[in-house]
Amino acid sequence: METRILQFAKALRAGGIPVSQAETLDAMQAMLSIGISEKQQFRRSLRATLIKNAPDLELFDELFPIFFEGVDGAPPDMQNIMEGMSDEEAQALAQALRQLKADLAEALKRLLRGDKLTPEQLQRLASMAGLNRTRHFRYKDRMVQRMLKALQHDAVRDAMREISQLLSQLGFSKARLQELREMLQENMDAESDFLEQFAGQRITENMEAKPPAPEVDEVMDQPFGYLNEEEMDVLRQEVRRLSAKLRTRISLRQKREKSGQLDLKATLRQNLRYGAVPFKLSYRRKQKRPKLVVICDISTSMRYCSELMLSLVFAMQDQISKTNAFAFNDHLEFITPDFESRSSKEAVEKVLIRMPPGHYSTDLGGSLREFQRDYFDQIDHRTTLLMVGDARNNYRDPGLDIFKTMAQRSRHTIWLNPEPPMLWGSGDSDMQVYLPFCRHVFQVQTMAELAAAVDEWLTA
Amino acid sequence: MRETISFTSPSHVKTALAAETYICSDEIATVGFLASQLEKPLLIEGPAGVGKTELAKAVAAATGRTLIRLQCYEGLDETKALYEWAYAKQLLYTQLLRDKLQEVLGETTSLKQAADQIAAEEDVFFSMRFLMQRPLLQAILHPEPVVLLIDEIDRADAEFEAFLLEILSDFQVSVPELGTLEARERPLVFLTSNNTRELSEALKRRCLYLFLDYPSMEQELAVVSLRVPDLDKGLSRELVELVQGLRHLDLQKRPSISETLDWAHSLLALNAKRLDTQTLESTLGVLLKHERDLAKIRKQIVPQTSTEKDDDDYDIPEEWKL
Repeated sequence: METRILQFAKALRAGGIPVSQAETLDAMQAMLSIGISEKQQFRRSLRATLIKNAPDLELFDELFPIFFEGVDGAPPDMQNIMEGMSDEEAQALAQALRQLKADLAEALKRLLRGDKLTPEQLQRLASMAGLNRTRHFRYKDRMVQRMLKALQHDAVRDAMREISQLLSQLGFSKARLQELREMLQENMDAESDFLEQFAGQRITENMEAKPPAPEVDEVMDQPFGYLNEEEMDVLRQEVRRLSAKLRTRISLRQKREKSGQLDLKATLRQNLRYGAVPFKLSYRRKQKRPKLVVICDISTSMRYCSELMLSLVFAMQDQISKTNAFAFNDHLEFITPDFESRSSKEAVEKVLIRMPPGHYSTDLGGSLREFQRDYFDQIDHRTTLLMVGDARNNYRDPGLDIFKTMAQRSRHTIWLNPEPPMLWGSGDSDMQVYLPFCRHVFQVQTMAELAAAVDEWLTA
Repeated sequence: MRETISFTSPSHVKTALAAETYICSDEIATVGFLASQLEKPLLIEGPAGVGKTELAKAVAAATGRTLIRLQCYEGLDETKALYEWAYAKQLLYTQLLRDKLQEVLGETTSLKQAADQIAAEEDVFFSMRFLMQRPLLQAILHPEPVVLLIDEIDRADAEFEAFLLEILSDFQVSVPELGTLEARERPLVFLTSNNTRELSEALKRRCLYLFLDYPSMEQELAVVSLRVPDLDKGLSRELVELVQGLRHLDLQKRPSISETLDWAHSLLALNAKRLDTQTLESTLGVLLKHERDLAKIRKQIVPQTSTEKDDDDYDIPEEWKL
């Protein structure tokens, strides 16, 4: 059982859940005190010790049956229905089957006989459905559906109905037919259960055999435009770590800062060793958490940059007093609600469905106008206005007057642009005209640059 | 001294908590049992108002332990959470004891002797007498086993979280002037979080984890009938059905169990017999706390029930109609 738990922990890790040695030990201890006779209790005790993030519970629930329900959870064997038939019945059935297309008749016969799929057949099915390349449980149902389709389950069910008429003419009683149909259905259910388990196992194997994730450091310096989906996943993980790091740095800096009100108690305490002569002064932290208005370009070219930016901002909510996030391509939308209680990847996907990117449709000027009309009160003297985009406006009106008032009203205006400065102002880029109103402009082409920029403006 | 008990099995947890009018699922029972068996802190996450804090209270009551609660907030630090020297009291004592000090020092002849004399009396001023115990130290020094509830840990700063790590793993504190203080009995620790920010991996690693979600229909019904026993059974069912339905809607703040109970209490107070439009209208504010949510639900509920009021239309003058 111990080895099984270790394997299970390994599979969880392969699925991207950070399970530490200590937690695996906890799981074993839990197993000792709860026992494994009650499967549900055992499952809950593993869940409480191994999984520490609510979104990870889903993967746990997928993997658990694969690892711990092998014996009694195995789908029932298929029955050989043909065996129980009399000779007349078998003959009648053979006659009826001749009415069907050859491959369909074969599929029906196979299910009636209750033949198990051979390993070669399974392998063929798996590669045909694309199961060998699948590394995520989210695709499991789809894979099972494809395999069932290849095995013609639906068609077989229809065919059975089709030949029922004929069979009853050939001497099958109504009750007997009904019985036959039910037994066939049982066989089909058993097979689909079996396939489901098979798919789960195969996906787990694939997850474990996953090539090592790309090196974080390399990916950090990879320009956003060249990232593939896997590297993007690495960065998504990295955002968590990065935000924790930035958070501590920022709060440390704020603590050591000599500003704000004198903290009398802390000063007394600190100077007690000097006979309460106030040598070293302590200050209360000044409330400096900025309010944030983020306006992000989510056109195809800017998508990754914006997603990482937003996930970083939302991971650092405790350093920011309030975040209002907006996304634009050809129009503007308020997207903060999408980020609450959802991972940033899902949130961005959801936003992208709502406002699909089209070619040459970016309209920053128009979006600024919408912002002015609907959300202008979101900007006040405590707000940091953060623009993320390449400022490519398709030669439309840049809405400069609006941007100017927005910049004047806010505390800081910061622009993150993935393009290098030499391209600003070239073609349809309006960066040069926005530039004078921004306090900082960062060229942010990689995650490393993004982190540096966030670090700088949060403490600025 | 009160009699404290420890849990013997998950089902024991369940019955013991039920006696404290806390209905718990098998999940909660198992995890609660594990926490007490493995002596590990339990981190409880979930939406607001699903009974995270209540669970800790119920466990304290069921085991007969004292509950010590530390409410976290932004800017919480060691002096508020662990201990602080009572400076004012120390200063006051020095003033009052000045004569006595003179006596102690009276016989000394050299400066060195005087310093030694004072040093010998140092313990008087750095003793437990002048130590203000905050919740964490209280939990450690308590002579009987206690339940320590660290509420809304996500509100505290990241540094405080790091500071907690030491305490949660060893249950000991070092006070430089006094030495290391160790817990006589390991407290049962509950941490709750509303998930307003990610907690550190290190903290999570040290805890067992329980995600409390909104209860199922049956569970919530059981809670209502246990806590508001006088409410009509049919009405309770109607009420819980409605709340469960509301949770599936896209609201700013979904109604929690505590709000269901509040609502049940107010229906009882109003002596309502069934959920008609009027009662709904007047009491919906107990359930929904945002203006936008209220408006949204009113719009959904009222048209359904006002079909018979169609003849109201005739009161509107013709020319006003579109």
